[in-house]
Amino acid sequence: MDYEFPDNLKYTKTHEWLRIEDNTATVGITDFAQRQLGDIVYIELPEKGAILEKQSSVGEIESVKAVGELLMPLSGKIIEVNSNLVDNPELVNSSPYGPGWILKLEYTNELEINDLFSVEDYKRIAEEEN
Amino acid sequence: MDFISHDEKTIAEMLKIINVSEIDDLFQDIPKDLIIKSLNISDGMSEPDVLNKMREYGKKNKIYPHSFLGAGCYYHYIPSLVDFVISRSEFYTSYTPYQAEASQGYLQAIYEYQSIISRLTEMEIANASMYDGSTSLAEAAIMASIITGKNQVILLEGVHPEYIEVVKTYCWGQNIELKITSENKLNDVLNEDIAAVMFQSPNFFGDITDGLVMSNKVKEKYPNCLLIQCMTDPTCLGLLKPPGKTNIDIFVAEGQSFGIDPSFGGPGLGIFTAKKKFLRKIPGRLVGKTKEINGDRDGFLLTLQAREQHIRREKASSNICTNQALCSLSALIYLVSLGKTGLREIATQNFQKAHYVKNAIALIPGYEILNKKPTYNEFIVRCPNINGLIRECKKMNLLPPLQVSTYYPEMSDVVLVCVTELNSSSSIEKFIKAAKLAINNEEERAD
Amino acid sequence: MDANEHLIFNKGNELVQQNFIPKLDIKSEKIEEILPKNLIRDELRIPDVSEVEIVRHYIKLSKINYGVDSGIYPLGSCTMKYNPKINEIVARMTSFSKVHSLQGENEGALEILYEISQMLGEITGMDGFTLQPAAGAHGELVGLLIIKKYFETRGIVKNKIIIPDSAHGTNPASAKMAGFSIIELQSNEQGEVPLDHLEYAMKQGDVAGIMLTNPNTLGVFDRQIKDITRIVHEHGGLCYYDGANMNPMLGICRPKDMGFDIVHLNLHKTFSTPHGGGGPGSGPVGVISELIPYLPIPCIVSTDKGLVCNHENHESIGRIKAFWGNFSIVLRAYVYIISLGGDGLKRVGQIAVLNANYLKTLLKKKYNLPYDRICQHEFVLSDKYLPNEITTEDIAKRILDYGFYAPTIYFPLVVNGALMIEPTETESKDSLDKFVEVMNQIHDEALNKPEKLKNAPSNTPIGRLDAVNAARKPILHD
Repeated sequence: MDYEFPDNLKYTKTHEWLRIEDNTATVGITDFAQRQLGDIVYIELPEKGAILEKQSSVGEIESVKAVGELLMPLSGKIIEVNSNLVDNPELVNSSPYGPGWILKLEYTNELEINDLFSVEDYKRIAEEEN
Repeated sequence: MDFISHDEKTIAEMLKIINVSEIDDLFQDIPKDLIIKSLNISDGMSEPDVLNKMREYGKKNKIYPHSFLGAGCYYHYIPSLVDFVISRSEFYTSYTPYQAEASQGYLQAIYEYQSIISRLTEMEIANASMYDGSTSLAEAAIMASIITGKNQVILLEGVHPEYIEVVKTYCWGQNIELKITSENKLNDVLNEDIAAVMFQSPNFFGDITDGLVMSNKVKEKYPNCLLIQCMTDPTCLGLLKPPGKTNIDIFVAEGQSFGIDPSFGGPGLGIFTAKKKFLRKIPGRLVGKTKEINGDRDGFLLTLQAREQHIRREKASSNICTNQALCSLSALIYLVSLGKTGLREIATQNFQKAHYVKNAIALIPGYEILNKKPTYNEFIVRCPNINGLIRECKKMNLLPPLQVSTYYPEMSDVVLVCVTELNSSSSIEKFIKAAKLAINNEEERAD
Repeated sequence: MDANEHLIFNKGNELVQQNFIPKLDIKSEKIEEILPKNLIRDELRIPDVSEVEIVRHYIKLSKINYGVDSGIYPLGSCTMKYNPKINEIVARMTSFSKVHSLQGENEGALEILYEISQMLGEITGMDGFTLQPAAGAHGELVGLLIIKKYFETRGIVKNKIIIPDSAHGTNPASAKMAGFSIIELQSNEQGEVPLDHLEYAMKQGDVAGIMLTNPNTLGVFDRQIKDITRIVHEHGGLCYYDGANMNPMLGICRPKDMGFDIVHLNLHKTFSTPHGGGGPGSGPVGVISELIPYLPIPCIVSTDKGLVCNHENHESIGRIKAFWGNFSIVLRAYVYIISLGGDGLKRVGQIAVLNANYLKTLLKKKYNLPYDRICQHEFVLSDKYLPNEITTEDIAKRILDYGFYAPTIYFPLVVNGALMIEPTETESKDSLDKFVEVMNQIHDEALNKPEKLKNAPSNTPIGRLDAVNAARKPILHD
């Protein structure tokens, strides 16, 4: 498998990644997810300030042939969204972990971080789906 | 009749290649007790016999040479070009243009349809069509609910009664609460939980409402409330201010007036338009323009398919698949055949002829025009002897206007009169005469 | 043929040809005196184009389009059969086309609607029909609303519908529009519904019913169909039949006998009415007698006084479209049924299945056939073992170069790189053989000259289009 999965990130089984710093997390979708979707044409971003529970739907990522739902990896408040993705959704394809980040949230329940996957566990999940 | 090309020899050859002895073997997966012997339907017929039979049925439908009946279904002149173009078998026997490279003709036509509807309505986005005006209105309500996240919509009286019923059914399906009220009571019912206000203009009774007045009324206090307008005879747009200039969010119409025969109610054409900001939530197909991957030429294809059911499945906002493509082609040919000058002229004639009849009827003692607002080609009249009017019309071979009691039993002496460009002066004179004769008919007055 | 034919909007000029306006023969007032200025529009940005230019423009467009009159159209589950011209003649008779939806004196139209309901009942085994739905998906919505109403009137809360993973996308979308949520069942290795999973799902107690098409989208007749409907009924659910694949069953087998309670048919598939490039269609819905009260209004009832329209049924799910449904489409289907007669309809089923199995037998020699068993009206190939990284899309685009239309691609989702083929009964052996020849040639090219497929189509008015940019930056009108 020649996907890229950085070591310093956490992952979910629904293919989101998180970079956790202090009490915030930056969230995006993994290299595996972007490859599955194909060329991304549109991203529906949440409203800044929205407060959502873990696992709830927080956005949608559309390609020509498919739609992926973005799920909140942790309960919390949306503090920033990547507005560059409005005009350049292809950033999610070319740099899913860098300029293709999708949102930043302030999490409210530290314990939920324990449910996230390490890069090793996530690699296994991605391999199975492959 | 049949349309199969194989003779028995060919069938035998094919069975051999498949390696079964008879056709019945191909149905071996079906449990024996489910196989039926034959259908209890009469033997087939050849073309001349079919035509004879169908002519007999046709004789049982009366076709009036002149009509004063509208109410959501209209007689307008259909240019000869329309049928010739849609009868090109490359158009009407084709499928949905998923393989864009082999379907550029139809795709360009649909793109032109979307464009011409956009120009006519001045709405930013038009889709490739929905089933008809009534279901378009219902889907607009659902779309508004999805956009705003609210599940209450207001519908103003004056929307075509059959449209109201269709919206009710669709709202029930989606657990959307439908509140029906009058324009006067709108402010009492409007609040921040309302997804949209829906109104019709010109409405069922003929009244024209200024969309700008309506949008100010609604959006002044509730800027996030969507405004949805529907229309049953969009030929009026040849003259009337288009919805795109009145801050309407979603505009839908019945497009049957654009080059489609009434045919006892269908097929019609659901015209569906919206503001650009709602693009990703619009139902139905969309054709877009793009370039070749390895070339320079422009081409057309179905786009934004990720909104639709074949990709989103249960997450789709609408289940629509097959729509009314050939009818949208009819509408396109109609609109280009008339052009801006023709459309303006047709709309003007509809206004003027209806206005003429309205004035003439108003002069006859006993008749009362009930509209308080300006009207297009329909208006309502209280009659001193409604049965008499209907009878006299039929005697003169005129298709009588609608008895409004069909939908509103309490309006038992009101008719909805429709006058289009096809109503010649002689038919109009006959109608006026019928109205006068109806008063003099003593025995019917007692009904 | 240049695909960059100018848009019609560029063909206008100042010439005002008014070939279609009747003379204004009444004394008329000026518009400004009748209508307030604030209601009148300023400009209308539609060109005036001469009649000759219009006709040439659209005839040119028709020539860069492909219909079933042009050649084989093997789209799976679309049943692209020949559209009889006699249907078109009858639909254009003014004694039908000029009938107003709301006029009385319409016995001819009502009789046709009534009779075709009887005939569709005979074909499907169902007891009552509505002809109102304007398309298959519309019919699905009606059927599901009937299911919803059925449980509502009994005070039972059941809000799930079971749908197999091979189902057409309209099935789950329609279920959602009727307020249900979906339980998706994975097909087993034979492409059929696994009974144990079905039993388990039904045992949860909140399943209102199942939506199935049989034969399914793999072209396979589910041999356990009676067990499936029995299990659903035993747990108090209803069974809905998606009639998109009814063609091979005509005169052979009936959904009612399979155990279904509700059926929709696609007149623009099985009953030869033209696809029109995407409609208009018609999706009549048939039900068992217990469900007749819930059918949409209006319905046509036969009384001693003749046919009567019932607008007043309070148990009905309500109205689902204005007026009477797509009458002139129903009319065409009626003509088709009387033209063919009972025996002719049965022959349709037989030859549809013959043609599909013939193609399957010949194509599986070079292409991968995941479900290698007798098929009904259609079968599905996959992209397994395609050489040189050739995809299903490449194959489809190369078929266009040979002047044919490609089969359905990437559906059903249960097969990787699916190529779904339905020839229908109206293709001659010659036509089928030519298609096989082309498919074989393409396979050879895939092996030896893959660039021909990768660069396909190169023989069509336009090459492969940039769908990504079209979706990123949509241009939807000029």
